[in-house]
Amino acid sequence: MSSEIVTGERQELRRSVTPWGSYSWGYADVGADIFVALGLVIGVAGGATNIAFLFAGLVYVAVGLAYTELAAAYPVAGGGQYFVMRGLGDFLGFIAGWAVLLDFTIDITLFAWGCVGYLSHLPVLNVLDASAHPLAHFWVILALIAGLAVLNVIGVRESTAFNGFVSAIDVFSETLILVLGFLFTFHPELLIHSMQSGWPNTFQLMNGISLAIISFVGLESISHAAEETNRPASIIPRTSISLILTILIFALAYSNLALGMQPWHPVPHDAAGHAQQFWHYLGAVQNQDKAVAVMATNIPYFGLLAAFYVPVFGATLLLISSNSGVFGSSRIAYAMSQFQLLPSIFKRVHRKFKTPVISIAVFCTLAAIELVFAALQGNFGYEFLGDLYAFGAAASYTLVFVALIALRLKDPLTPRKFLIPLNLKMRFKGEEVLFPIVAVIGFLGIFAILIFVLLTHHIGRIAGPSWLLFGIVIYAIYRLRKKLPLFGSAPRNWNRDQVQILKNAGELELMDELVGKLKARDPNFTMRTP
Amino acid sequence: MNELHVTAAGAAAAILTVLSISGTLYWMLHPPKSRADIAAVKAERLLKESFGTVLVAFSSEIRSEHMMVLAARLARGLNSELLALYVIEVPFTLPTNAVMEDEDRFALDVMASAEVIGKRFGVDVRTEIVHHRHTSQAVLDLAKRERADLIIMGSYREGTYTGAPLGREIEEIAANAKCDVLIGVEGKHGTLLYDETQAEAALQSKV
Repeated sequence: MSSEIVTGERQELRRSVTPWGSYSWGYADVGADIFVALGLVIGVAGGATNIAFLFAGLVYVAVGLAYTELAAAYPVAGGGQYFVMRGLGDFLGFIAGWAVLLDFTIDITLFAWGCVGYLSHLPVLNVLDASAHPLAHFWVILALIAGLAVLNVIGVRESTAFNGFVSAIDVFSETLILVLGFLFTFHPELLIHSMQSGWPNTFQLMNGISLAIISFVGLESISHAAEETNRPASIIPRTSISLILTILIFALAYSNLALGMQPWHPVPHDAAGHAQQFWHYLGAVQNQDKAVAVMATNIPYFGLLAAFYVPVFGATLLLISSNSGVFGSSRIAYAMSQFQLLPSIFKRVHRKFKTPVISIAVFCTLAAIELVFAALQGNFGYEFLGDLYAFGAAASYTLVFVALIALRLKDPLTPRKFLIPLNLKMRFKGEEVLFPIVAVIGFLGIFAILIFVLLTHHIGRIAGPSWLLFGIVIYAIYRLRKKLPLFGSAPRNWNRDQVQILKNAGELELMDELVGKLKARDPNFTMRTP
Repeated sequence: MNELHVTAAGAAAAILTVLSISGTLYWMLHPPKSRADIAAVKAERLLKESFGTVLVAFSSEIRSEHMMVLAARLARGLNSELLALYVIEVPFTLPTNAVMEDEDRFALDVMASAEVIGKRFGVDVRTEIVHHRHTSQAVLDLAKRERADLIIMGSYREGTYTGAPLGREIEEIAANAKCDVLIGVEGKHGTLLYDETQAEAALQSKV
């Protein structure tokens, strides 16, 4: 009896995330990306910024659709790492998880950096400007990272309700900036002129595309919350697709507006005293980490209000994203250690606060080390973090596409309430399967971006693979000590697990469908462990 | 400062941005309903349609004070009319119009308490005191007259009565009512809903 009561309470707590809650989990992460990416991409892609966002956006749509299908079919915490482990085995699952962990630690540093950057746009806080006062800038970011670590250890973390509130205000604010910007400052002929005069060379365009992908990173946060989402198989496709569309609209609209914007204030001359266009000014090093605030300030009339409100709001959103990095990295490490991909020390929780204190401490320390490396790059520190962020995302997403294809072939029985469009019917090992053509296209796109990152980012191509190598060493030592296969997988009953996952998620109709299919294939199949 | 100049393309882009963002969010917030959702909505609608009047029955044997709180909450939530009825059972040894001052006074106290409970939850309670030979028949008659959609009753004083554990009057009302009946059996009286052995085990495990 008592066990039933416990189960009942747990289920109620688990399925408490609503459609807006699920959307805002993702938005709190991805929504802030445009605040970070816009300045960086304009800085390198110049007049082709909108094209860079468009290309990265097309790849992102494919990534988003893949995550949507997988999160709806396998609503468990862990995201990409879980899908890859299930489709491709423990070793590649570890690689995907470790690459995502790189992104989450970068998340902590990059967004804390952006947060301080936006705050420095306020006249009273210009002492935090990275180009003018690098030391003050560095210490404030370090203090923010330490503060977030302490907050997460004592258990204070962003709740879904708070995320929802901030996301609602942000969607409204970003839309308002765009609407007023388009209405009062947009000139299509200026857009064409900017594209013609500022068109980059191929190398710069590739660099821009690989940086533009960072404006779309974070969609997997929806899949991390999948286990707690009410009716995940129905809700997640909606929230994911909405998030994909919202972010795509914002990225394309902001990049086109930035290139075609006639600012309200005269554009200052550059350091050499030359006249520059508005997008030159936005992409300049001193404005890269606060580009949206600079744009908003240059909208007629609204800019007066925006000068105070957008920096504060952008900083809040970026701080929440940074916090989601602390929370997400510890959570992924926790999930990976549960699947014996990382040592069990990452599972340990604090006796009093009940939080994964070791995971939080380790990944915040790594974030602080990344900050030191970024600060050593001088004016290119922000770009350095962007490079690593792009590498982690591209590496992880590449594996997710392969995992999607593998799962379509290996696990055709799991009901998929959402399927990526364009599928080819074929037979594989006696079963009828649907081969996803979009996944192949997405794989080629994201793999191309991964190659761009390795070709164009001098530091990223060394630091990124080094991170993976460092992880593989930890993985190998741990697996050998535990006498677990290094490249193979630990034995697991995925079918029985899947039935349990659907049961826990409250997707009873899908659970019935799966059990029916499993019993049709094997009449002795039972849901209980024999 | 530059001059303000609105272009057609800019205005079109602004409108397109608003429409696409609001359309996307609207679509997201209206997902398809599952079988469970449809069943829940149907039950809710049925409840809203049917619960026009809620009748709470009291008598010297039927103690419904605790159920009155539930009834008031229900009535407020469902916007229902709340009627509290106290039945004074007239023994066959007395004429039907016999004066029963003590019983009447007690009934007034109970009805006053019912009104206070209703007011605490922001619900107006109509009260009525009826003299009748049979409590059950009085409740059924009034429920018919008022077209009550729900009768709520508390526990019966003689809960352990052999052959009618809930009390004969309560059982008769439940069996013959033409509407839904909600019976609240207090733990200390009703052994049907209260497992003493498990409660004892739970208490011991706490210790």
